[in-house]
Amino acid sequence: MSAGKSHVADGLHLRPRPPETVMRLARMGSAHPTRLSFLRVLLRRMEREGWRFDRPIWEINDCGVGRATYRAIGPERIYSLVAFAHDLPEEMRSDRVIATAWDATFALFDGTPTKADLDRLEANVPLQEAGRIRPSELSLSRANRSVRLWEHVVDKLSMGCQPDPEEIAAVGYLMRTTAVYGSGKFGAADRRDIAARPELAAPFQIEMLSVWLTRQFSVDMVEHLASVKGGAGAVRLAPEIKRGLGVGNATGLGMAPFLVRHPMLLNNWISAREEALARVRRIDGATREAAACLRAAHAEACRNAANWRSEHPIQIAKLADLRADLAKIATRLERFPGDDPRPWDALWVWGEETLSLEGQEQLFALLIEPHGNLVDELAACMSADEAVAFRLDGAMRLRRLREVLGERYAWALAVDFTRPENTARFWYVSEEKLEPRLGERATETGAEREQPLCIARLASELDAALAERDETETVAAFLLRHPEHRYMVRRVQIAAGHPYAEVHDNLIAADMLPIDLMRCKLAFFGASHFDPRSDKWVRISLFQGAPYPLEMDGRTQA
Amino acid sequence: MIMEPNDPTRTGPAISDLPPSAVLSRNEIEALCTKAARGASLSWGQAEEAGFAAGWLHAHGIDGSAALLAHLHRRAGMAWADVCPAVGIGRWQARGRGPICSIALGAALSDHCGLPEGALNEGLSVGPVSQPILVLPFLSRMAEVLGHAVLLCFDGGEICVDSHGTSGDTGRLTRLAEASFGLSLGTHPDGSGCPPVYDCAHATLTALGDLAMRTTVPPSERSRADAGAGTADND
Repeated sequence: MSAGKSHVADGLHLRPRPPETVMRLARMGSAHPTRLSFLRVLLRRMEREGWRFDRPIWEINDCGVGRATYRAIGPERIYSLVAFAHDLPEEMRSDRVIATAWDATFALFDGTPTKADLDRLEANVPLQEAGRIRPSELSLSRANRSVRLWEHVVDKLSMGCQPDPEEIAAVGYLMRTTAVYGSGKFGAADRRDIAARPELAAPFQIEMLSVWLTRQFSVDMVEHLASVKGGAGAVRLAPEIKRGLGVGNATGLGMAPFLVRHPMLLNNWISAREEALARVRRIDGATREAAACLRAAHAEACRNAANWRSEHPIQIAKLADLRADLAKIATRLERFPGDDPRPWDALWVWGEETLSLEGQEQLFALLIEPHGNLVDELAACMSADEAVAFRLDGAMRLRRLREVLGERYAWALAVDFTRPENTARFWYVSEEKLEPRLGERATETGAEREQPLCIARLASELDAALAERDETETVAAFLLRHPEHRYMVRRVQIAAGHPYAEVHDNLIAADMLPIDLMRCKLAFFGASHFDPRSDKWVRISLFQGAPYPLEMDGRTQA
Repeated sequence: MIMEPNDPTRTGPAISDLPPSAVLSRNEIEALCTKAARGASLSWGQAEEAGFAAGWLHAHGIDGSAALLAHLHRRAGMAWADVCPAVGIGRWQARGRGPICSIALGAALSDHCGLPEGALNEGLSVGPVSQPILVLPFLSRMAEVLGHAVLLCFDGGEICVDSHGTSGDTGRLTRLAEASFGLSLGTHPDGSGCPPVYDCAHATLTALGDLAMRTTVPPSERSRADAGAGTADND
């Protein structure tokens, strides 16, 4: 504890953690959902504003084929999930992006669709990428059943019994989405046209709403099919079992580059999180209610860790760390708050000294959980108007540009790119599906078409070019000679005012793990049960333990 | 909508069966044009500027994707030194055999905003420029920084641009494959503006898609396996 005490003396520890600590892949790959995660932001707003939900159309036949709509009715606007249920032969069920058919397909419609809208959507939405939607649609998505759990649940319910809790825990969802497209994809509304709406201002609210309504649809479908099969003898899902079901999601490399492509957004997400932690650490004392909430959150985290399954060696080791750390936290909480004047800070400092990265990031989520009144407002800072950063500051002198490069990219300039292991991979887009992939430079072709995700190397190349120029020259003049550095110069200028804009690791190194990028993003979504199936694709669960829209109808919680 | 040469999700209909155009979102236009510009060997940073320019033009009622395609075809095979502007006070001209690349010009104008070479108070003569309509989005960006509208005068008309939009002879400038023009501070556009046009001719989209595909890599067994193939999905 002595190191912690000396930290306390200099007061530095009460500032947000520095990027050198936070922006490392190993730590980002240990991220947990928090109360600032986007699905929780959505649920809080809908509770606070008393949104109402209904299901005006349910035209699903006895084979489970047809269409349904779910409406979310807010104070100003209505959003409708339009769902199409299909009869998918077993052999066609694949989560791969190159699949051509799914158990169900969806669009989130802006308003209440007319019959003509539904007919138009029915001709396009089931085709997914091969169809077209319009600006009246906000997202396009699809989902497949968990065959194992789906059949088990339908069978049991049809016989008047509840499903086996072990089977439920082993899978955790009835359906998993395989892609949720928003932001203007396939003709849908552009983000910039809807971002001013208060309910959509936070990131990914459209996508979260779509998935949450999809969860309701998945439960309605199994109850419908059980009723068809069992007639009067069928029962509905018990509320506690239903609550434990989420929506699964299968995610591959397609998601990994997102955080790299959106440096301002990444900065704003991380800086909101870090500000939240700093605020909590600055609190004097701990109220009885806050301490009780912390213990409840810890108990919930223990339940979550116990139900978290993975067969991947990396994740098995991380889960072992997490469970061991949760036990240490339990012991530490026995003497919380204790007599420390800043008990939250003392707990955090203890955690940094004692816990693995998994445990530290879990503790982060626990620490901010009781302090909604202090941190929830930070969700409003998590969007980014990326257009404002598009114009370069051409009047900047190269001396200043190189200073920023030295300050913000020291981690990158330290990498020796003459060593093969530091350029072992390359990011590319596949011709087949226009999806990001990762290649091995030594053995695969295509490196000449590399995507600009090798930020560390680009920074290093820019530094070398700047070293050759007069430092009083302007950026504008430099870029006339070196148009190839324009992309990186823009990033450096963004990073100047956005300390958390870059991942501080070499993204083309031999030992880089893409799943670390994915876990960070998915934790911001609010995903739990991160379950890698390789180092390049994962399954997760969304909304597990959350209420359902049709049970939240018009209810306002304190 | 990118027409993929190797799209496994469908068998492509013959061109004659396609409607003559498709409506894209601004986001899709920007993404497609960025990739196409990169496929036509602009640097990534310049390609981003090309995507921005095309999207901005569509949002202001001008077919930016067609203009960009024409420009990329014209620029094909030319070195940077041939198409970049030689920047001077009061006059910017082609440094090589030209004409000046309108994306390179627009980006450089935007970069020099606030510097003596980019000053418009005394007027700036520029040219010759390939597909000059593509410069308007950058003038809009300059107008935003300057807090003042920018006037573009060319042989056959004039266009006023501010941070919100344009007024003047945009149709005439759109039809010019090459032009020289003068830039100066102007009065704000009359505000009528043009509604967005996101309708893109299929022929344009197909050609831009072909360029965009030059940024992609054909699949290998290994890359497919890494993306998740070969593992059971039915749990």
